[in-house]
Amino acid sequence: MDSTVVTYFSQSNEFHSIVMWLSKIFGDHAGGVLTFTIFAVVALVIVGVMATVGGLGTYAERKISADMQMRQGPNRVGPYGILQFLADGVKMILKEDIVPSNADKFTFILAPILCLMGVFATLAVVPFSSGFMLSDLNVGVFYLVGMASLVGVGIFLGGYASNSKWSMLGGMRGASQIISYEIPVTLTILTIVLIAGGLSFGTIIHGQSGMPHKWFLFHNPFAFISFFIYFISSLAETNRAPFDLPEAESELVSGYHTEYSGMRFGFFALAEYIEVFVVCGVAAALFLGGYNFPFGHSIELAMVQKIGMNSMVAQNISQLLELTAFFTKTLALYYVVIWVRWTLPRLRVDQLMTLCWKYLTPIALFNLVGCAVWMYAFDGKPIYSLIFETAVTAAHH
Amino acid sequence: MFSDTLFLLSSALTLGGAFAVLYSKNLMHSCLYLLGSLFGVAGLYACIGADFLAATQLVVYAGGVVILMLFAIMLTGGASNKINKFGLKKIPGMGNFSTYMIAGVSAFVASLVVLKIIADVLKSQGPTNLVANEPTVFKLGVLLVTDHILAFEISSVLLLGALIGAAIISRPRREIHD
Repeated sequence: MDSTVVTYFSQSNEFHSIVMWLSKIFGDHAGGVLTFTIFAVVALVIVGVMATVGGLGTYAERKISADMQMRQGPNRVGPYGILQFLADGVKMILKEDIVPSNADKFTFILAPILCLMGVFATLAVVPFSSGFMLSDLNVGVFYLVGMASLVGVGIFLGGYASNSKWSMLGGMRGASQIISYEIPVTLTILTIVLIAGGLSFGTIIHGQSGMPHKWFLFHNPFAFISFFIYFISSLAETNRAPFDLPEAESELVSGYHTEYSGMRFGFFALAEYIEVFVVCGVAAALFLGGYNFPFGHSIELAMVQKIGMNSMVAQNISQLLELTAFFTKTLALYYVVIWVRWTLPRLRVDQLMTLCWKYLTPIALFNLVGCAVWMYAFDGKPIYSLIFETAVTAAHH
Repeated sequence: MFSDTLFLLSSALTLGGAFAVLYSKNLMHSCLYLLGSLFGVAGLYACIGADFLAATQLVVYAGGVVILMLFAIMLTGGASNKINKFGLKKIPGMGNFSTYMIAGVSAFVASLVVLKIIADVLKSQGPTNLVANEPTVFKLGVLLVTDHILAFEISSVLLLGALIGAAIISRPRREIHD
């Protein structure tokens, strides 16, 4: 059985007492009902939190871009304008919902839902902390890659269904871009899978540690290059600048969502911002140690043994620390994504394809082979332990 | 209970999607229903504990094949002009005597093949106990590079051939100067 959020809760005594209590009421073993309830509640919480993160993402985007261009940014709604995204959300819901008369109505309605569905489905395996990830599937990364590709279908259909030239061009660009850049993304993920020896996020993160020298980023030179390849390609996969060709506003009005208004447009925007968060979270999990925090379980042990804390309380505190570590790393990357967007100019279509097929894919392939050779030649040891060993041998001589 | 619900949902999705593919008038919509049907198949794989196969189904079909089909449909355009320049019908009439004959014979052959395949399942009595959610990735990987190495290599050569073929077809032709 894969470890899930229910596995975490079932360690506590309260879980078993609630199961006993429910079993008395229903007259049957109620473990399944409780499992379902916990999954439903945690899924709702995660979707709610992620929607808020997506909303705050739009606020952060506007505020940071304002900082970079020496403007004020939103500053009217709430302190520092932080409630701007709520006002925007209300505005989106209240706007008239227009379906163009020549649009393919069924597809037009389905497209934003497919986009959002693909992104929300990936949240099932995003490793927020060792306890609070919804499910640690043993094909976790692979599942995430598959689900994320639904977004491409949504974007393409959005462009097609609108029956407008701008949308069509944007949708086609989006689909071809996402399909192309999936290859370097998958190859770099494969590099890390090779080091970790497993597809599940649990295996990948437990192969690392809180301290930077044990991150897979510094495991070997190939993994170091892989991180940058992954980051660049995932920018392209989420249609972020400098790869925001599908919605290039200087050429295509706003690309695949030109004809969308109200909350349907909001779905596209929300899907994009949440996907950026997911992609940054995956980058943090694969390369930056994920939810590991410095000193890790020794802190938990110290709390139990030295202070004499209840072990479940200590575990909860360590979960909170893990959540903090994950969100810190992910939001730092999120900042970089926004920073890149407001720094670099957009690429041309042919440059985009050249970058993917002539540079990123060959480098990613080279990295994969190089990493395999490293794992074979140095017995899977990271570079820091090799340096230590050399230093120790040198000291003995 | 969960696996039963999952099975019922996925099989309903698979069958419903497949029927909708057949009965939809719009080719684009058919393609979307096909996506739903393929998702259902992934759910069925997940039911029998084949997690890697389910994820592969998602990656290959949802991510690749369906988008490529949508592209192909879109680039070929609709069938607004049903008669070509020689006055012949581009789309041959469905449902005349010969098509029904061919359909009948092929359905008969296909059902025989399927019956032959599932004969063992039909003969065996009682439910077989499935191993609960054992990870399949490791076993698949080992089998792929030991017992089935030849099939693995042949399929990779096939894919390489397809890739080179696509590159040759789509590359711009050089004009020959005399």
